[in-house]
Amino acid sequence: MSRLSVIAIVDDDEAVRDALFDLLQVEGLSARTFEGAAPFLAACGDFDCVITDVRMPEIDGIELQRRLRAGGSAMPVIYVTSCDEDVLRARALQGGATGWFTKPVDDEALLDTLKAVLPRC
Amino acid sequence: MLTGPALVHDAAEAACWRVDLSQVRALIDTVAAGGDWADWVAALLHGARIVDANTRSLDLVGAPSAREIILGQPVANFCPQESWNTVAALIVAVVTDPAHAARTQAVNSFMLRDSTLTVWGAPGAADTVWVQVDGELADDRSFWAVRASEQRYRRLIHHLPGALLQVDARPMGAVFYQLRAEGVTDIVAHLDARPGLVEQACAIVRVTDANGGAARLMGTSGVEELIGPVAFIFARAPETARNVVIAHFQGHRSHVELIKLETFDGRLLDVELTVTFPTPPERLDVTLLTFEDVTERLRTEAQLRQLQEEYARAARISTLGELASSIAHEVNQPLAAIAMNAETSLRWLSRDDPNLAKVEQLTRRVADSARHASEIVQRIRGMASRHVPERAPLDFNAVVEEALMFVCHDVETRAILLSVRLDIGVPPVLGDRVQLQQVVVNLLVNSLQALTGVEKGRIELATGPDDAGGVRFSIRDTGPGIAAEDLDRVFEGFFTTKAEGMGIGLAVCQSIIAAHGGAIAAANHEQGGACFHFSLPSIPA
Repeated sequence: MSRLSVIAIVDDDEAVRDALFDLLQVEGLSARTFEGAAPFLAACGDFDCVITDVRMPEIDGIELQRRLRAGGSAMPVIYVTSCDEDVLRARALQGGATGWFTKPVDDEALLDTLKAVLPRC
Repeated sequence: MLTGPALVHDAAEAACWRVDLSQVRALIDTVAAGGDWADWVAALLHGARIVDANTRSLDLVGAPSAREIILGQPVANFCPQESWNTVAALIVAVVTDPAHAARTQAVNSFMLRDSTLTVWGAPGAADTVWVQVDGELADDRSFWAVRASEQRYRRLIHHLPGALLQVDARPMGAVFYQLRAEGVTDIVAHLDARPGLVEQACAIVRVTDANGGAARLMGTSGVEELIGPVAFIFARAPETARNVVIAHFQGHRSHVELIKLETFDGRLLDVELTVTFPTPPERLDVTLLTFEDVTERLRTEAQLRQLQEEYARAARISTLGELASSIAHEVNQPLAAIAMNAETSLRWLSRDDPNLAKVEQLTRRVADSARHASEIVQRIRGMASRHVPERAPLDFNAVVEEALMFVCHDVETRAILLSVRLDIGVPPVLGDRVQLQQVVVNLLVNSLQALTGVEKGRIELATGPDDAGGVRFSIRDTGPGIAAEDLDRVFEGFFTTKAEGMGIGLAVCQSIIAAHGGAIAAANHEQGGACFHFSLPSIPA
């Protein structure tokens, strides 16, 4: 029996974190929230995808992706960020990011991207 | 009306006072018995009170028709000092003589020639003596010489550039005498209960003379237009009229106040009014009012203040520009949350079985985020908007905490270690919240910029009490520090070492701190990096 997909949400802003969680919930997706990259990496959860902000204290989203890849994880990484710097976007995509959405996010496009990367139930 | 025996010259040549000695009985007894009493002559004449005076005596001291002002005063106030010893000795001799017989002695007086002093008492009135002085006026100058001298001074005063009014305030002296007789001591409370008294004062106190400067200031064609009740002076400053009445009643020598003055030709001026009340032995009918037109000065000061504020605002906007990316991120966060929560709500509502409880929860979050966004915008608007500086008691730590909110995103995303140590014991300061916040934000932005390209950059910020009981703020970064040759110039306007800096931030910081009565300084830390610190005085008790 295939398990339910679980998505990690990493953002230092509580309001954004909760909003993303609820958006996924209404679509029947299961998610878990983290207030930073460090607790997410420490959780070692078996996530199917991670949605992360870019600019965060201590470990930023780009570094989070780098550590995932360095640890051998192929977990899809989707950025949802206020940051519109091309350099960071290019680095993220070069590092294997699945998507880059700037806030306020197009919810339909985000959900489509998610559904495309999540394993079929 | 004087009473008493042998008062022979009341209406004629001799000046005569009736003097009450009840307060100096012990002194007289001691002196008469050969005892010691330090500086007894002065003590006697300051304790001996004039309780009645004839017209001639009023004329001699230059206070015609102002008997009520002399009455109750010490003899010392009106007796020429060179006659004190004689007057005192005669008083003691008469009082200790059982018959209280009259004694006469020649005295030297700057006012009278060949003058004689006579003191006598009356049986059954042990605490009363009469003091009479007789003689011709000592001034050798002729009537015409005196008149010419007066004319000279009159012309001199008339041509003085300043505006001068001579006012006869004696009618108020009579009113005050009556009030005191009725037991009024608190004139402020009395005026609260009877505000009509101020209006009365404006009507009965009259301008009796004025100089050319006054006519020019008031916009009249001649001084004669100014002669009359003083009401026109206070037409735009009724509170000042009240203050002058209070100062007069309380016996102040002068009163100074900035007032609005409407001139006869319709101009509205800012004027510094100085009222100088006469005190004996000056002529009691001459109260002097001088006016200094400070309209231009105040206008220039206001323009200067406005320029300074424009300059400070330019610096604030420049600082906000440097924080633009940080601010955009901060505002975008709640907006993103609002948009997502609204979309999610619509999704719940569009279901066949809408989850209204969930929609309610999401709507609350939308409202919270909207409020949060509004607070951010207000904070930024506060920094960017035109602003009239105002002083209010401030919790300086709260000012620092609010300033930190402008830069916290930059600090976090650049992985800078920010250490904040706010001493809860710092006293409140009197200051302008926006301006002081501007100083702290500016210093924080400077520190952040100094850490560009610095690995593991650190900013240490602290508040605490200073040695003078005020507040001390310090900030230190671990950047490259300030070049030694620039240390003396960092607060100069338009001095900058940044490629894109305007060089006004620190200059404005210095002017703001100076305007708050404080001082700011820059230095290099011995372990590297720049440090800035400033002190602000606490609120005066």
